[in-house]
Amino acid sequence: MKAEPQLGKLVDGEFLERGLWSDAFRRLIRNRLAMAGLVVLVLVAIIATAASFIDPVERYDPYRDQDYGHIQEGPSGSHFFGTDNLGRDNWSRVLEGVGISLQIGIGTQIVVLVIGLTVGATAALGGRLGDNVLMRFTDVAYAFPDLLFIILMRAVLSGRDWPIIGEPKLQIIFAISFVSWTTIARLVRGQMLSLKERDFVLAARAMGATPARIVFQHMLPNSLGPVVVAVIFGIPLAIFAEAALGFIGFGLPPPTASLGRLVSDGYNFIQVNTWVVVFPAAAIALLMLCFTFLGDGLRDALDPRFR
Amino acid sequence: MKRQLGRWRFLLLGALAILAIFALAACKEGYKGLAVSDGDPAPPEEQVLVVQSLEPEFFDPHRSNFEQDIAIERMLFRGLYQLVATEDGGVEAVPSMAEGEPEIDGNVYTVTLRDGLLWSDDVPLIAQHFVDGMLRSCDPEVASPYQYLLGEGYLNIVGCDEYFYAFGTAAAPITPTPEELQALRDAVGVKALDDRTIELTLTQPKITFTTIMSLWATFPARLDIIQQFGERWTDPGNIVGNGPYILTEFVAKDHVTLEPNPNWPLEPTPLLQRLTIRFIDDFAVAFRAYQTGELDISQFPVSEIPTVEGDPTLSAEYLKVGAGRIDAIQMQLEDPTLAIFEVRLALSRAIDRELLNNVVSNDAHIPAVYEVVQGLSGHQGNAPFEDIVGYNPDAAKQALADAGFPNGEGFPTLTLTLREDPEQKALGEFLQKQWKDILNINVELVFVDGRTRAQRFNTEDFQLFRGGWQLDYPDPENVLIGRYDRPGANNKYNCSDDEIDAKLLAAGRETDNDARIQLLQEAETLVVTKLCGVAPLRQLALLYLVKPKVGGVRPNGTIDAAMPGNWCAECWYIEEQ
Amino acid sequence: MTGYIVRRILWIIPVLWAVVTITFFLMHAVPGGPFTQDQPLPEGVLDALNRRYNLDEPLWKQYLLYLWNILHGDLGLSFRGDRDVSELIGQGFFVTAQLGLLAFFFAAIVGMALGVISALNHNGPADYAGVFFATAGGSVPSFVLATFLIIIFAINLRWFDILGWGGPIEWGDTFKASAWDLNKMVLPVISLGVLPAAYIARVTRASMLEVLNQDYVRTARAKGLRERMVVLRHAIKNAMIPVLTLMGPIFATLVTGSFIIENIFAIPGVGRAFVDAVLRRDYAMIMGSTLFFAAVVAVANLIVDLLYAVVDPRIRYGRS
Repeated sequence: MKAEPQLGKLVDGEFLERGLWSDAFRRLIRNRLAMAGLVVLVLVAIIATAASFIDPVERYDPYRDQDYGHIQEGPSGSHFFGTDNLGRDNWSRVLEGVGISLQIGIGTQIVVLVIGLTVGATAALGGRLGDNVLMRFTDVAYAFPDLLFIILMRAVLSGRDWPIIGEPKLQIIFAISFVSWTTIARLVRGQMLSLKERDFVLAARAMGATPARIVFQHMLPNSLGPVVVAVIFGIPLAIFAEAALGFIGFGLPPPTASLGRLVSDGYNFIQVNTWVVVFPAAAIALLMLCFTFLGDGLRDALDPRFR
Repeated sequence: MKRQLGRWRFLLLGALAILAIFALAACKEGYKGLAVSDGDPAPPEEQVLVVQSLEPEFFDPHRSNFEQDIAIERMLFRGLYQLVATEDGGVEAVPSMAEGEPEIDGNVYTVTLRDGLLWSDDVPLIAQHFVDGMLRSCDPEVASPYQYLLGEGYLNIVGCDEYFYAFGTAAAPITPTPEELQALRDAVGVKALDDRTIELTLTQPKITFTTIMSLWATFPARLDIIQQFGERWTDPGNIVGNGPYILTEFVAKDHVTLEPNPNWPLEPTPLLQRLTIRFIDDFAVAFRAYQTGELDISQFPVSEIPTVEGDPTLSAEYLKVGAGRIDAIQMQLEDPTLAIFEVRLALSRAIDRELLNNVVSNDAHIPAVYEVVQGLSGHQGNAPFEDIVGYNPDAAKQALADAGFPNGEGFPTLTLTLREDPEQKALGEFLQKQWKDILNINVELVFVDGRTRAQRFNTEDFQLFRGGWQLDYPDPENVLIGRYDRPGANNKYNCSDDEIDAKLLAAGRETDNDARIQLLQEAETLVVTKLCGVAPLRQLALLYLVKPKVGGVRPNGTIDAAMPGNWCAECWYIEEQ
Repeated sequence: MTGYIVRRILWIIPVLWAVVTITFFLMHAVPGGPFTQDQPLPEGVLDALNRRYNLDEPLWKQYLLYLWNILHGDLGLSFRGDRDVSELIGQGFFVTAQLGLLAFFFAAIVGMALGVISALNHNGPADYAGVFFATAGGSVPSFVLATFLIIIFAINLRWFDILGWGGPIEWGDTFKASAWDLNKMVLPVISLGVLPAAYIARVTRASMLEVLNQDYVRTARAKGLRERMVVLRHAIKNAMIPVLTLMGPIFATLVTGSFIIENIFAIPGVGRAFVDAVLRRDYAMIMGSTLFFAAVVAVANLIVDLLYAVVDPRIRYGRS
């Protein structure tokens, strides 16, 4: 097995963990696929955002412009991606969808990260009983019939004008993160458990560092690698999850057009006008590709064994 | 490098080999899927039919709630009378197990059974069995959802409601002693005078007697079988029926298989040797299975109409049947804005129903401003109502201005409650845009799942609600009574109009049929022209695909909805190709 | 270690109890009941039905009654047809497990083969092709993939059937030849298996690449053919370790039911049964299925945790 990696210089009695991150950053930049993914993502995000503000980019209103004379058309000069069953322009809807899906994907993962880190770290560091209780809590959450919870949430909240929780996007974010935080929690816990016994942590303890400092300055940065990667991969998975929910009938409420919604709606017209599914599905696939390359690149960059 | 590949080529070949074996085995089966009972798959020349249906819950006619259950029960059982389609697209009740029309003496109706009737297990079918069946429908411990068909306001059988309410209500429960319960049961006005004579005592004469006696709630019952097998009495092997088919195989959530009943006494005798009904709730799934040849009769989704009409084979197999169902926008009259007649008028006149039908449903349904559907006596069509509540954007704007909201100023945002479903979504988005464009008002769409939506309707928690009515039996009284009068069990939009109440009360009591229909027509006119809680949108049609080899399909949307012509499933057969 | 296993198994009981309790009260909190319809049932009928199914009792009483019944192995009756819930779940699970297992093997074999070949041809054409297919396969939602497969292979080419499950539906039919129609299984299995296959392929490839870069592999390569073979076999084994640990959750997911695939192919599995039960508020069925899923998940998690311990000797269970 390889020797323990050097963790930077000893300066003023503190280990400089920063070396890990700047090394990783440099390696990431050199990874062409990952950079390509990142560039495409940023580009797509810019176009999607621009579409909300600049009319010529969007070309049509994704909700109001229903042109009954041009229903279910394929791609053309006036409608780049064709039209849907109410004559709405697919190009504008896909752009709108990209924006919303990215919001949901990233939003979900932020919530997942926060909850997962808290639960996982507490489990790993909280002693055996704490670990047991939290892990069993994770079991319960994992086995939980989230569909019931989603129905309840939607039934209670939809149509009411309540602030914050009335916002359907937030509801979906919570609904999806409710299920997925358990994997991150277990991952964090696994990482921390193995880190707990590592030499540098023992050394820091021996040198009298407080538990808080050990966690935040030593363990967290070292365990974040796989966690960050999992979170990045989780973004397109969240978009998938929203599509699946839409398939059952519990996605973002219409008329909001997320990519998942567009795909699950278009699915009903798949034999009538396949383009209505192809473009949003391709958009999802593109996002998935970008996040995959980015995630792969991040994982390679952060893996200490690759030095 | 190439040498190493040897091993991994091996692995790859192994994986491919497994897939190949799988594929070969998969392709070996030449015959395309039918449900198999026992033994080998049948060769295609036999009289075997595979039909799609929604998933049923029960095969017990006194416990069923839904069309698909009732459709299958009509194949397994039959009542004293049965509904048949007439030449002009209407419906009438004719004697089935009964020998002829009932003898009427005041409030006492006497029905004589045909001679020599047998159950499928060769036990004689006697009058007592019909009495037992009707008692089951009135029995509080059976909890039949359609008990009301035998009670006050419908069949009017003496004592049926008293027996059913023996335990009181949830608010005021009663605990009857077994003797009291038995006494109530004995007081119900159905008796078997002998093995072939049934005597029913009603609280008042009922014109639609034979129609209601065709319904599943009056089917006969074999108490001995039910006692012996309990809840399992409808399992194949246990179940006993008097209909054209018997149930030979049942796989939960998958399919049911029926075979002809040798003791079926009427014409026609089923020609099919085996009828398989596959439970598929998703019409898109059913549509694809129809295209692969795995279904012979199927429904398909409205969204795929262009596919069907654009395909020469499919368009020839397309069968559209007007159903006994109206789709409407229901309006909560307790809401201060909707209580204003001009507001409702504006909303109704701003809807281009033709365009809606075209854009949202690919012209599948029938744009309607009436409540009593085509095929029922007293159907008035659109003519009397079109100019009053039909599409007219200028009149709509004027009405809104008259109501005090010129050009939508000051108009609150209303909510429209719908179910999450592709057609509903398109409908909602279409209406939202129409109302915005023409009236300049904002309507917010609220999508919920089926049960939540039903709950909101029952608790009157809605402003605008896309709803409607599915006929229980083909008579206009079923469309109006209970829905627009007070207290109406279904009047959740609070239509309260003395004139309408008076007309419907009189119609329920009228003994002369023509006068009754007249009263009902007047009631309908009042309901529609006053937009009393409802603005009709369209009469729904059912869309079927039927393979050319299937014969004997006699669809009538007002009496069947699960499968085309399922009220005469004994008429189905496979034609020689 | 045995102590740990025993303790974990004992812990499953309170976990199941917690899931049952939360589900029970959540279920009753959701609006609409099993008999709520928009053509409302008359009051008397609702009362009679509630009486029949004990739904008129106070909630805590129904809860205790339910717990009591579970302890006696009685999961209750489904409102849809008064059928025994344990029978329905057993039958549904039988079908879902078949589908899940076949999809799992498909995903494992195809995924691993693809991953290994890609890794061995790192940066070559086979690698790029492999990565492309893996990513493409993993980028499309399963219902879209399934529908496209159906349209191309079943409707247009008529190669496969798509209605229902091609295997035995009742346990007793397992040895009846007529109960097997492999043709119907192909498309559902592929639709379900492509996503995990893509994921497995990616992870296998990454893991293989990592192992192939190790010193001992490089040395073996330099030294010659026979040693290369031996070492490569060893390399594959090592590369499989992280892959195997993620097989656990994949297996659990596949086997507890892909509702979407079951819906598209009208397969009478337990995933679809559960979603239907939730939508129709079929209380006994919801409770029964949730309990069942929770048990399966708890056991699967235990197995995965044990695998972690086997794989990484630094993780110790049972030490204070």
